[in-house]
Amino acid sequence: IELEKSQYSDHEIRKMEEEEKLRRRKESMYDDDEAPGKTVIMAQDLEDKWEQKLLRFKPASRITDADKKNNRTSLDRKLDRNLMLLVKQKIGNQELWLLPQVEWQPGETLRSTAERAMAMFLGDHIQAKILGNAPYGIYKYKFPRAIRTEDNVGAKVFFFKAFLQSDDLSQAELKKDYLWVTKDELGDYLKSEYLKKVNRFLLD
Amino acid sequence: TSRISPHALSSSSSSSWLPQAAPSRGSHWETSLLAARASLPTRAQPKKKKKVDVKKEQAQKDRMKKKIRKLEKAAPEMIPIEDFITPLKYSESNRARSLPPLSFEETERRVLLMKKWCLFKQNQDKAEKAAIQALVEAQQEALKELRLESEELYQAAIRRDEGLFPFERDGPDYTPPLPGYDPPEGKCVDITKVYTQ
Repeated sequence: IELEKSQYSDHEIRKMEEEEKLRRRKESMYDDDEAPGKTVIMAQDLEDKWEQKLLRFKPASRITDADKKNNRTSLDRKLDRNLMLLVKQKIGNQELWLLPQVEWQPGETLRSTAERAMAMFLGDHIQAKILGNAPYGIYKYKFPRAIRTEDNVGAKVFFFKAFLQSDDLSQAELKKDYLWVTKDELGDYLKSEYLKKVNRFLLD
Repeated sequence: TSRISPHALSSSSSSSWLPQAAPSRGSHWETSLLAARASLPTRAQPKKKKKVDVKKEQAQKDRMKKKIRKLEKAAPEMIPIEDFITPLKYSESNRARSLPPLSFEETERRVLLMKKWCLFKQNQDKAEKAAIQALVEAQQEALKELRLESEELYQAAIRRDEGLFPFERDGPDYTPPLPGYDPPEGKCVDITKVYTQ
């Protein structure tokens, strides 16, 4: 379709004219009427040069090392998908894989709680953009009977979304058990109820 | 002023006083009177010249101002959009390609491909809209629960986030950046034409 709807470009016309000249020269055996120094560089030569250059260039592959080793702690993994941070936290007396969470202190907004959680897990100078003041999803759960008091029957966890801007997490003080996973791999780590609620607000 | 003849004065003065000092005093009188006459502004020609000049100059200025006003009142010229004007060198005939006409199979294939693409895009759009709907529902639920918890936090959550827009994010490239790549250098000269009205 591109060929059909377009006209000849300058480069193509030059190429055609030079081909014609070559043909005429061969057929009629000119005695070099045109000085040989005139058309030193032909359009065909240029095209060949460009092809060579393209073949020599090798872009970086899309499947990085971390992909091959399936090293889930590195950010270099699935470059075409979104990765989410999972941290192993101790809640009550269980060690669970969760999206990073901290308890809300009275006197701060939910968004500042989320920022505090980020600062705690990824270091102070993290450049992440939180999208909006409102939470994206919620997960309610009731404490097991042993811990329930009159006021605290259960807890609600509000989720916020944020985009990580900078690539280097060298300043991060990540503990050993953290993972960067895509949405499909979340199911390997999260519990079913939690997973259901989390999946509702995650695209991709 | 009256024209006093210098000689009469000098002679009279010399006769009354010292006869020896007569010629010097007479010449002194002469020169002083002459100088006085020259310095007095003679009000005949020069003043008329000035008046006429000033009037002429003012008339010229008015004419110029009228011309300027006329030019400004004329409607401003349209700035030509260079993308819409095909340069003449592209309408020459030797530029047209000569390709074989499309075969029947080719046209059929293209039509069927277009139909499949339409269907695919429709499904994609439906899926996107459903996903957005689900997201909004989840958010509304979260806000409801938050409201049950505390009104204050709810109000803080509903507030607009000023720092969100304009939101910029670089999308992923097709291949990740090569670590030691040195892009070839080149100069870029901007030749866009700028029109002022």
